[in-house]
Amino acid sequence: MSAALLRVEGLTVAFGHGRGRNVAVEGLSYHLDAGETLAIVGESGSGKSVSSMALLGLLPPRTAHIEGGRALYRGDDLLSLPEAGLRALRGNRIAMIFQEPMTSLTPVIRIGQQLTEALEEHRGLSGAEARDKALEMLRLVDLSDPPRRMRQFPHELSGGMRQRVMIAMAMALEPDILIADEPTTALDVTVQAQILDLMRDVQARFGTAILLITHDMGVVAEMADRVVVMNKGRKVEEGPVGAIFARPQAEYTARLLAAVPRLGARREEDGPRPVTADPARPGEVVLHAEGLGKTFAGRGGLFRKAAGTVAMDDVGFTVRAGETLALVGESGSGKSTSGRAVLRLLEVDEGRIELEGEDLRALPHGSLRKARRAMQMVFQDPFAALNPRMSVGRLIGEPMYIHGIAQGAELQDRVAELLRRVGLEADHMQRYPHEFSGGQRQRICIARALGVEPKLIVADEPTSALDVSVQAQVLELMLELQQSMGLAYLFISHDMAVVEEMAHRVAVMRAGRIVEMGPRRDVLGDPRHPYTSALLAAVPRPDPTALRGKLPKLDLDTLPMGALRQAAPNHWVAA
Amino acid sequence: MSAPDATQLEPAAALAPPARKLGALRALLRSPSGAVGLAIVAVLVIAAVFAPLIAPHDPFRMAAGPRLAPPSADHLMGTDQLGRDVFSRIVYGARLTLQIGVIAVGISLTAGLLLGLVAGYAGGWPERILMRLVDVLFSFTEIVIALACLAILGVGLVNAMIAIGIASIPFYARITHSVVLVEKNKPYFEAAIAAGASRLRLIFVHLLPNVIPTLIVVGTLGVSTAVLAAAGLSFLGLGAQPPQPEWGFMLSSSRDLIARAPWMMIFPGLAIAITVLGFNLLGDGVREVLDPRQRAR
Amino acid sequence: MARFIAQRLVAALITIWIATIAVTLLIHLVPGDPVRIMYSGFQTTDAEIEAIRERLGLDQPVVVQYVMYLGRVLQGDLGYSIVGDQPVLDTLLQRFPATLALTVSALIIAVVVGGSLGFFAAYKKGTAWDFGAMTLAIVGVSMPHFWLGLLLLFLFAMTLEWLPVGGSGWQNLILPALTLGLATGAVIARLTRSAMIDIFDQDFVRTAHAKGLPKTLVLYRHALRSGLVPVVSMLGLQFAYLMGGAIVIENVFAWNGVGRLAIQAVFARDYPLIQGFILFFATVVALVSVIIDVAYALLDPRIRYGT
Repeated sequence: MSAALLRVEGLTVAFGHGRGRNVAVEGLSYHLDAGETLAIVGESGSGKSVSSMALLGLLPPRTAHIEGGRALYRGDDLLSLPEAGLRALRGNRIAMIFQEPMTSLTPVIRIGQQLTEALEEHRGLSGAEARDKALEMLRLVDLSDPPRRMRQFPHELSGGMRQRVMIAMAMALEPDILIADEPTTALDVTVQAQILDLMRDVQARFGTAILLITHDMGVVAEMADRVVVMNKGRKVEEGPVGAIFARPQAEYTARLLAAVPRLGARREEDGPRPVTADPARPGEVVLHAEGLGKTFAGRGGLFRKAAGTVAMDDVGFTVRAGETLALVGESGSGKSTSGRAVLRLLEVDEGRIELEGEDLRALPHGSLRKARRAMQMVFQDPFAALNPRMSVGRLIGEPMYIHGIAQGAELQDRVAELLRRVGLEADHMQRYPHEFSGGQRQRICIARALGVEPKLIVADEPTSALDVSVQAQVLELMLELQQSMGLAYLFISHDMAVVEEMAHRVAVMRAGRIVEMGPRRDVLGDPRHPYTSALLAAVPRPDPTALRGKLPKLDLDTLPMGALRQAAPNHWVAA
Repeated sequence: MSAPDATQLEPAAALAPPARKLGALRALLRSPSGAVGLAIVAVLVIAAVFAPLIAPHDPFRMAAGPRLAPPSADHLMGTDQLGRDVFSRIVYGARLTLQIGVIAVGISLTAGLLLGLVAGYAGGWPERILMRLVDVLFSFTEIVIALACLAILGVGLVNAMIAIGIASIPFYARITHSVVLVEKNKPYFEAAIAAGASRLRLIFVHLLPNVIPTLIVVGTLGVSTAVLAAAGLSFLGLGAQPPQPEWGFMLSSSRDLIARAPWMMIFPGLAIAITVLGFNLLGDGVREVLDPRQRAR
Repeated sequence: MARFIAQRLVAALITIWIATIAVTLLIHLVPGDPVRIMYSGFQTTDAEIEAIRERLGLDQPVVVQYVMYLGRVLQGDLGYSIVGDQPVLDTLLQRFPATLALTVSALIIAVVVGGSLGFFAAYKKGTAWDFGAMTLAIVGVSMPHFWLGLLLLFLFAMTLEWLPVGGSGWQNLILPALTLGLATGAVIARLTRSAMIDIFDQDFVRTAHAKGLPKTLVLYRHALRSGLVPVVSMLGLQFAYLMGGAIVIENVFAWNGVGRLAIQAVFARDYPLIQGFILFFATVVALVSVIIDVAYALLDPRIRYGT
């Protein structure tokens, strides 16, 4: 066995002192071999990011303390190296890329200088030599027109392009180790697939060892050779990727893997998994929308109006009682706009929205308020969606109070009952939102929505802010409520695997238009639109034995983006 | 899951217990600036309330001692050119100072809160016109607006308080407006609309309670600005008139006597500076107490 | 960029325009008869009062008065002062260089002292240095600047006798500029510190560290250049406050600028002069904030290369 490139032993990191001391990483040990990819996987609070930041001395000074351990790299202990020695390694032998490409580049400095400065610093290259190397790296990460990119500022590039710049920057010095902290979490799934491919390419080219920090089992399966699973600051399991997925030893790992939604698992089923004895079947049409259009005004000047952004164009769909219609798409596709539009949380420019046959757009303010009883919303960020200055009891009771459903002691009883219904306890009503975890907060949001016995719930990415194990519980709750109460869901999501689990029907959106819509089984199993196929192909599979194939090349200019035509029974595709 | 993501683990956010009711006072005392500020303000209030008991001499009585006497056991801060006891005048001056703070901030806070709330909630062209106007007035600065008001109303301490109150309205309107905009764009506000809340409910149950904490901070800091401004106007002779024991006015009468009687200049100035410092520290302390909760997420 | 400058200029013009409306209204808000109040110190007959009223156009409806006033302002005519019967604009322009010298030198002191103190405190965040610097700053913010002026006067002019007590030479500028500069510097120190702390927490600073750049390079190239954007954007407002502070400071040091003139005008109820001063003040502040906005845009590529 050859000596490991990096050997971490007993790493312990804590925040604060004394009674406020909070251990983030405890006794973590692992090793990284040359050229391999080691994934450190865990949910939020597992200490996975902190442990890797500690290696390069990038923890917030004065708040975080490395309390013990060693990290041996080529005979040096990174944790006890003086700042100058560590600095000589940082960005040179050990490089790093981060989660947020939008904020990880300095906004006031040209891309060119951000690429060349490390080369000049560590290699002592002249300006011209560094420039040549930077251009070569930009070409390597597949950015078009590198000389122009060099002159640009970060804000002129998209998120995916910026992450390519980050990779170019990190790889320019051909480091031994690349630490990638959630490198694709902030990106759309198709861009994520490209960036992961790129990382594999550069790794093969330079023989770099990658330390990949992620929460996404799909990314782990796709990228890793070996895996370290962390929970609450400790390593719970370590092993080759195949073994971890096939025969997880730790109970935590098994639970984590079981909670991960797998695209294709329900390929042969028509509807979501039944979780009640007698699930409600799709019934009457609850929501009908057609021809919705919305253009956000551009930042016009004083004298001329800038062209706006088209957020929604000719969007239409129906949702029936007891049925889930999923709106899927990437950022900027208009899916959230559509969700808010049907609730009249934003005014559309054109189109018709009917709730149980009533034209919502024709309603005056007062009647609209009354009509809101029948339609409720569950938001992406369950903390932000709860007024921090109201107790949970008041929050859950508020819609019922507004609509005159209950008051006083009766209201209290109903709130208590709702809390129990969503798996919380009645005495939780005295507390305030910040005292709850993310998953509990989302349960509170759901209880709040349920109180007025709505027909329709619009759920906008209800689980994307949650950890995967919590996500599974919230999804389960939503299925159970739908099947026992006959709720109609408009379920907005970017996650194809979650959609497969939840939806009866799916509408795929891109650039403000629906490009494909139909029964979930048909749309996901037999996609007719090239964009849908690309979206599905880009989803990383949480299964190291089933590797994602090559990405289909999508020609965005020739994508059919016209009116919907029926391609199969009830299966509509943009022409 | 209950533990926040460790990368965002800022001690203040993660560990500071949320302040509520009685806990708020305790939290305020735990912050160094809050404790010092509270102490200074408490001394000021005590001086104002019990002025007759504390002051050794009648602040208006001339020749309570020799003229321009340096500080001594009988006259802790010396006497002024009319032989009045400076210490007694400063103690009584606390009354005027508190009045200035309460009246001026009362005017600007009420009007500014209303303007900012209406503009922020209404949106559209009323908001644009209102805030444009507020911005313009804001750029005139408080002192010029106050001068304009005094040109209209005439000089005097009460007029100065009103002028300062009016002059600071744009500031409070801007702050309120910006907080309203932030709160209005948070999902909980949209959630309240989706729940069917009426306009009044949106404003008074959802917006206002989330705007008030910021305004408490700003209002506390605003007292110090008002005290400074009033002292400035009195110093210029536009505010307090003889024989009022107003600190700024006392400073202005010391001007020509600095060399002969520096105590006449030093003590009133110190009184203003410490008072202003007290409200500034208190404001900072309140902000520290209120902030972790707002950032905790 | 051109469009950005045009936008700022239009905003400045709107400010000045609103100022013209405000000063016209000013005289109408005076309780009682403004003409009699203005001339209360003079021996005047009723006929003379009416003649003055007519000459000032105060017998006309407000709208007509406003149009007339605007017409005259556009020709550079701000009327005549009551005291001394001088053209208001000439009087203001004659006094303005003194005020400009005071405010500009104070601004330089404020930016140099306040900026470096704030940057230093942010860099040393949480240490005794930070605490010391910020204690100094909050004391500076809390000190009435006219008192600081008196203290400096007492110390340097009277006790140490290094500097003259009054006059109009450059030695006389030192104390008022220092007073105003230090007072504003304390505010700028606090603003700079919080802006820089925000910047130090940004992801891109972490990226720069992760590249292994020397600390000084991270500080000056990445953090400071980004931090300058918010700091410079605050300077427009700070300049307005400096101009306001100058009114008081000029009176402390008997410095013959427009501020001293303004106070005399308020005392004398010299309305044409007060109107002229407010309009003049608004114009200067508006134009300076255009200059500062342009500087800010030059620092921030998101504006420089934006549409």
